[in-house]
Amino acid sequence: MRLYKKEGNTIQILSFPGDNVEKGDYLLIEDPKVSKGLITQVIDVQFANVPGILEELLRDSTTDQHVHGENFDPLEVSSHINYIQDAWMLLCKIRGTTQDRKLCENNSWFPSRFQSKVKKLPITSLLTFAKISEGLPINIGETKETSALTIDAHALDGKLNIVTGKKETGKSHLSKLLVLGLIDYGAPVVVLDLNGEYVNLGFSSKGEKNEYYGRVHVLTPGGNLKVSLAQMDLRVMLNILVHALDLPGTSTREFRRIWRFLQQRRAFTLHELGEAIRNWNCNQHVRDALFSRYYSLLNSGFFTDNLAEATTLEDFFQRIRNGGALVINLRDVSSVDRQIVVEYTLGKLVELLTQWEIRAVFLFAEEAHLYLRETYWDDIVTRMRHFGVFTTFVTNQPDTIRENIYRQADNIFLFNFTNERDLETVSRAARVDSETVKSIARDLPPHHCLILGKAVKDFPMVAKVKALDVQTMGQTRLFFTDKN
Amino acid sequence: MNLLIEQLHYTTTQKYNFPQSLEDLQLPQKFIELSLRSMKSMEGEYFQPNEITFNQSKMENSGDAAPVFGNHSFTIEAIPLRPLLEDTPVAAVDVSSIKVGETETGILCAIRGAIVWKEESHYKYLRLGPFPFHITEENRKEIYTLFRHHYLETSEETSAPNLNNMQTRMGNLLERWLQMGISCSAHDSIILWDGSLTAGTVDSPVNVVSQLLEIARNRLNTVLAFSKTTHLRLFGHRLTDLVGKSQPPFLLQINGFPMPSGPVFSLGNVYVAKLTHGICSFRLDIDRKVPRERGIETVRKLLGNDLLLQGYPETLRLAHIFSTFTANEVIGIQRFIAQQCGLRTITRPNVRRLLFGPFGKGSEG
Repeated sequence: MRLYKKEGNTIQILSFPGDNVEKGDYLLIEDPKVSKGLITQVIDVQFANVPGILEELLRDSTTDQHVHGENFDPLEVSSHINYIQDAWMLLCKIRGTTQDRKLCENNSWFPSRFQSKVKKLPITSLLTFAKISEGLPINIGETKETSALTIDAHALDGKLNIVTGKKETGKSHLSKLLVLGLIDYGAPVVVLDLNGEYVNLGFSSKGEKNEYYGRVHVLTPGGNLKVSLAQMDLRVMLNILVHALDLPGTSTREFRRIWRFLQQRRAFTLHELGEAIRNWNCNQHVRDALFSRYYSLLNSGFFTDNLAEATTLEDFFQRIRNGGALVINLRDVSSVDRQIVVEYTLGKLVELLTQWEIRAVFLFAEEAHLYLRETYWDDIVTRMRHFGVFTTFVTNQPDTIRENIYRQADNIFLFNFTNERDLETVSRAARVDSETVKSIARDLPPHHCLILGKAVKDFPMVAKVKALDVQTMGQTRLFFTDKN
Repeated sequence: MNLLIEQLHYTTTQKYNFPQSLEDLQLPQKFIELSLRSMKSMEGEYFQPNEITFNQSKMENSGDAAPVFGNHSFTIEAIPLRPLLEDTPVAAVDVSSIKVGETETGILCAIRGAIVWKEESHYKYLRLGPFPFHITEENRKEIYTLFRHHYLETSEETSAPNLNNMQTRMGNLLERWLQMGISCSAHDSIILWDGSLTAGTVDSPVNVVSQLLEIARNRLNTVLAFSKTTHLRLFGHRLTDLVGKSQPPFLLQINGFPMPSGPVFSLGNVYVAKLTHGICSFRLDIDRKVPRERGIETVRKLLGNDLLLQGYPETLRLAHIFSTFTANEVIGIQRFIAQQCGLRTITRPNVRRLLFGPFGKGSEG
């Protein structure tokens, strides 16, 4: 391999058959005289622009159908010609600089074109170089070189993460792996499980209880997740009414008065709330508005007056104080009820974090655009992060996540996308250049993900996500089932 | 008897008996040895690869000056042609040579030949080479003499051409050898040569070309030589411009031109061939010793058996294409030579560019 050209952050390297270089591979351009090196990553492989190649192809095309023959080449010169014809141009991005075989910050150094040697940098060496697998390792899978790829759980701590890719590429699988990896290190995890994919994390693929059985708690709204009004904070309740149920401002003010009235009377039941609305001295339209929301709350099944069946998130967090996951199963929950549950959950999380009842929580949100209100997006990446809610968004529709979320994302786990628009959206991530995203993500096979960001110390890496021995439950129900 | 001819089989004379395998066209081991030996002489030298230049065409019309058309009385006869659909094999030969670089002591060139033949509706080809050569002042005579000795079976001493002409001359000699191979192995076929039937030059001694034609005739083959360009003029007009108003395909026969004088002359009857519509017409030489009618019939058979693009036979066109060097092949050959001989590559400054900047076009001089 020979260093050919540099334009901006892009380096072109001439490569020949036998170099065995692919997209995503790392190359080290070393200048032994100064003990410096440039770490580059191949983001695209093109044919080298060899002179005369068009003539060669045209000539060869004549031999396709009606022209046959043989070559007498006793000196085997043609192998050298083929070698030239098959030359590749590797488009690489500069990822870092080394000095005396240690990473250094200065990226301004540039190697000599003729003195420097270009060689492949094995991922294992890079992992060691960049100290990526140190700390609290979570095994993601394996690299192309079949070496294990682990990321440090610290790289997810206090961070905003995005897992995205088109359908059936393995997003949920990876997020489950991250959930279990965090649990292993005693982290509390809350999963907003839209499709009930995480509910069996406590079971092996054979249906037997696994090591996570006691640490994964599935909370089904209206089932084992019910709350009483007495446990509710006014602010959380108002969030539900305003954001989930669209209660207008005037009615909200009246509701606040009613709530305080009930508070004074220490009569926090659904029945009392209904009665208070009925008897409250207010405009009929306001009363109608309050009643419609009241019945929405009532019909959600999420609220109960029976204190025995009422649960609190505090209790559940107590159960996972040494690490575990609260899976909030939103499957079969209507859109409005889903928003009520999410408003309650997030409000409660902030409340618990503010009161330091929990230190921090890792929140996994699948297809969050289906239940997260507009204002929460910014809230999650700024205010709530400071409280200790560290979110991982999982989606197959990258354009449902706002651009500023991508810009602020610390880690992106990117699966295959072929659609230009999807790639364009994801490429806005600040942690890597758009060409890398577009070029590598387009060719990722299923279950392979491109990891970008702090988890890989900003050295984008492709990993084949490892298999999990848990019941995934993520499969789509099919009509034509295989009877064999 | 010629070593080469001895290796060929005269006995099995079937209709389609073009080189079935390499055994039929054995390249003298000497040739390959010569290539390797010439390159051994430069081990460890500096090597300056040539900038990619065009293939050197052989001295196609080296004897084009003959026949000379003076102020004699001529008649030009148009011979209309109808394709003769009689199944006849068509074979063609072409050779290319190219200079690939220079060393401290000489030049590096490569030669490649191609034979194409058409059987029924299929074209087949045999490509020989490329053969790289390192030609120096010390070995040029040896190389040239060996070439002449092996290919032309001639022992007469001639002075080797200067270094710059060697590649072309070696290409011409290889072409003669391939033509000989085809003449010996084909039967009742049309053999197409690129160029003319001019004889009497250093690379085309009269006895050699005569022998080639004779062998071809003895095997009922007819040699047709197509020249893409010619310097022959009649009344100031280029010969190939004299196409008149006849409807192609036709031949123009120039009656009454004098027999050439001097050492260089043509062994063929010269025609202007316009075989299809379009702008191209070619000088066509047909073996003089082939009866006129048979020669014309052969052209008609060519029309009936080969494709013609712009009036040029496809078999001959393919032979040219398969022998020609492309730019990437030149780079590949340079790499082969550099690696085989451990040459150190250097780039000498281009004096023209240094002196004239963007106006210094053309090869370094």
